[in-house]
Amino acid sequence: MSTIKYANAVAAIRAMENTLLSRSDIEQLINCATKAEFENLIASKRGGEDFTLEGVWEMLRGYAPECKELEILLYKNDFHNLKAALKSKIAGKEPEGYYIRPTNLDLKELYPAVSAKEYEALPEYIRSTAEEAYELLTRTLDGQLADSLIDTAAMQAMRKAAEKCGSDFIKSYVELTIVCADIKTAYRCAKMKKQRSFLEMAICGSAELDKDTLVRAALGGAESVLSCVESSSYAEAAKLLAESPAQFEKWCDDVIMELAETARMQAFGAEPLAAYYIAAEAELKDIRILSVCRESGTDKETMTERMRKLYV
Amino acid sequence: MTNGMVFTIIGAALAALMAGIGSAKGVGLVGEAAAGVVSVDPSKFSKVLILQLLPGTQGLYGLLTAIILLSRVGIIGGSPAELTTSQGIAFLAASLPIAIVGLISAIFQGKTAAAGVGITAKKPEHNGKGIIMAAMVETYAILALLISILMIYNIAV
Repeated sequence: MSTIKYANAVAAIRAMENTLLSRSDIEQLINCATKAEFENLIASKRGGEDFTLEGVWEMLRGYAPECKELEILLYKNDFHNLKAALKSKIAGKEPEGYYIRPTNLDLKELYPAVSAKEYEALPEYIRSTAEEAYELLTRTLDGQLADSLIDTAAMQAMRKAAEKCGSDFIKSYVELTIVCADIKTAYRCAKMKKQRSFLEMAICGSAELDKDTLVRAALGGAESVLSCVESSSYAEAAKLLAESPAQFEKWCDDVIMELAETARMQAFGAEPLAAYYIAAEAELKDIRILSVCRESGTDKETMTERMRKLYV
Repeated sequence: MTNGMVFTIIGAALAALMAGIGSAKGVGLVGEAAAGVVSVDPSKFSKVLILQLLPGTQGLYGLLTAIILLSRVGIIGGSPAELTTSQGIAFLAASLPIAIVGLISAIFQGKTAAAGVGITAKKPEHNGKGIIMAAMVETYAILALLISILMIYNIAV
């Protein structure tokens, strides 16, 4: 890959980074007395423009339409949309309300393709999963099992695409995503006393926490999962998971953000673009958490604790 | 035309050509980055323009070297000298520092200046630092220009 790729896009992103929220902006938002004050503060930072993930995605694709690395960031959404289409088909409902955007998939094509079993209309990376999941869902009517199959397939597709694109940043992003998902799945499955067959389908495995070790740990119970994670380089995750699932979720987002921060120093390449998307995702999540906390009357200290790391 | 004159003309052509190619690449790269910033914030146009100009100097150095060389051997001026093959090869060699260093330094300066555009985009008040960093690369183009000119003037005709 050329080291001077996306010079135009990266420079534009650098200019846009000034509109991202900083830690002090978040503190101001936490301290807002009214909802109107909260909304005005966000609007003033954005210069009155809408800030949505879809908008960010469209902007990134506008600057770097051929960037394959960026597409990998949306695989999770793509596979979620597949779940939505499959379940809507089984339940006889309209899937539109369950879709997540942005996505690499053509959502107008997804439901008809799944309904008609015309899987060749879907992108190659999702095709076989769609077929397998549909078959599994119609045979077992077990939504959780189908979800596990799709989630694992999403991770595997991300890993395959990351290896193909060759970007170390994207490979690390995918590995961290897999590690976080695997720890969460193993812990939940251990609590729910899931069978080995389910665990083998639901856990993807990574270099640090391989599939067999995690499956064995999950069969041994939640404590066994925690001690298995503790013995890896993700010991902090085990500690937080034992304390509270919310703290663990925050840790997952924060490690991804720490990775994104490494792209802040890069002047070229797909990494700063991917990092900007990750930053926008984290920021919107923070705003969502703050809005919910404000609605539910959560105290400021708890709100501060729940805030994800920011890119700026 | 003597072989010596052919070598000399090749030297002049290389100086203008290679340094020019380097500058075109460098200026083009910074232009790409600058356009990205201006598309978001047009008020930064003048600041990024300075950075874009920096890798353009190597092309000028190549042109200057070619003119001096052609003038030294009398092509510019209308009375071409009768150069021996050795003299021609010497003039060709004299043009190589700015040709090669001009090509490479312009590309690297372009990369540095494009990175400097990122500084201007994010922290416009630190624009000068980006300019200084890119200007550091210029040193080596100047040194190459100097040695090329010294050689051209000191080769006996």
